Amino acid sequence: MSDDSGILFLLAAGPASATALYWGLYRYYRNTDKSHGFERETTVVAKPVTGSDNRVDTVTGTQERRIRGDNVRDYRRRVTRDG
Amino acid sequence: MTTPRTPPPLPAASPAIGPGSPQDVPPLPGSLPVDPASVPPPIREELLAPDPVALDTRASELKDGVNRCPKCGSSDVRLKIGSDVLVCRFCRNEWHGARVEEAFGFGEGIDQLRGDVIASGARDIDAGTSSLMTFKCTGCGAEVTVNTESTMTARCHWCRHVFGVNEQVRNGAVPDAVLPFRISKSDAVSRIRQFVDKRRLFALKAFKDEFTPENVIGVYLPYMIVDSHVSASVSGRGEILTREYTRGTEKNRKTYYDADVYAVERSVDFTVDDLPLESSAERRNLDTSANTNNIINTILPFDTQNALKWNASFLVGFTSEKRNLDVDALRPQLEDQLLSIARAQVERSVGRYDRGVRWERERLDVHGSRWVSMYLPVWLYSYHQPGRRGGMLHYIAVNGRTGETMGSVPVQKWKLLLAALTAGTVVEALAIWIVVAAL
Repeated sequence: MSDDSGILFLLAAGPASATALYWGLYRYYRNTDKSHGFERETTVVAKPVTGSDNRVDTVTGTQERRIRGDNVRDYRRRVTRDG
Repeated sequence: MTTPRTPPPLPAASPAIGPGSPQDVPPLPGSLPVDPASVPPPIREELLAPDPVALDTRASELKDGVNRCPKCGSSDVRLKIGSDVLVCRFCRNEWHGARVEEAFGFGEGIDQLRGDVIASGARDIDAGTSSLMTFKCTGCGAEVTVNTESTMTARCHWCRHVFGVNEQVRNGAVPDAVLPFRISKSDAVSRIRQFVDKRRLFALKAFKDEFTPENVIGVYLPYMIVDSHVSASVSGRGEILTREYTRGTEKNRKTYYDADVYAVERSVDFTVDDLPLESSAERRNLDTSANTNNIINTILPFDTQNALKWNASFLVGFTSEKRNLDVDALRPQLEDQLLSIARAQVERSVGRYDRGVRWERERLDVHGSRWVSMYLPVWLYSYHQPGRRGGMLHYIAVNGRTGETMGSVPVQKWKLLLAALTAGTVVEALAIWIVVAAL
């Protein structure tokens, strides 16, 4: 099983590298992923962040490396708005 | 003998009483015809809500459209590139415009902002006003027309007086402030050439053949510069790793993780100074499948704290685009960006959650905002690539103040595909060789 997945992984390297090179170069020329980084480039004066942290549950035996739906760095993806 | 004909008597004038008649004493400013305490709460809130505060940035001294040299009176005045001074082309006198930051107090008291403060050049556009403006030349009396869609100055074809649109008519053409070009055309040309030289191998052949950076044009683009005072809060789930272990045999090992789950809440109060928003509907559309406006968006920000009081003479020799969006149309975008800034601000406070945080709810209270309309300088080189649905207009843009350059270079797709397939084939051959050797 593990051997098979290793071989498949190796054989997928060709198409994967071709796709990665295509999109990498395409973006380098067309810069479709670029926009104003206003989160970093705007002058912001903030008071100290306040908040709370309460343990509510535990997860055991998951194979996922990160929490599902991690969006801590995905500032521009909007979630449910309360106000 | 004829009897003299007398006109019929005029009807007696009705007494000038009643609502709106001149005999009515007008109500005192700020007074209300009803007692707010006697009306339901929603109506009371509306009655008692403060009026939007307006900052008057009009340049009344330039209202007649002729910007004269203060020394010799000539109207042949233009920007001296590389500096923020105006120079008279007749007597070489130079003078500096007033910075709006000091003149009108922009940039101060952001944490005291309550409600909307809208500068006079950022007021709502009146749909009835025309883009075409006509001036009567004070030199010779001829009529001079300026199309404010693309230009803000004109020269009288009879007496050579130069006119500028300075009066803040409500067509969105005259902003509160202008940030003059500091990067010269030759500098912009060399930056565009350098940008394209690093992207030639897979560039569209027609683009390379027709590449003429000397055709770059200086454009003043309309922006709304916003200061805001807000409170934001976010809530969600965060996880901290407690144990990492592997299970299975030598060839079938898998990694598992245990974690504690936390309900996380964060709140932050902050002020934002000079957030630029595109105030033209066309430029605000950043759909990269249909246009390359994201290129112009990328060269933001500008040093807007150095913006000068409006004077159309800064625009002599350049083109401009007119604002066509009002404050209310831009508010959703502002709130979206403020929420993004809030999320970036709280990120450092959740560093202990090494398995990440999933924000699920967010809230924004905008206490106050100050809106100032501004023309910002951009050198634009454009190339139209023919294709389906009108093709694609590719921009290469240079920030007229900082020189930051960004562009979209059209790609020769078959060439790029060939290169990718070649690289993929080499990698695949290596992979097959490794697999065969292992078996």
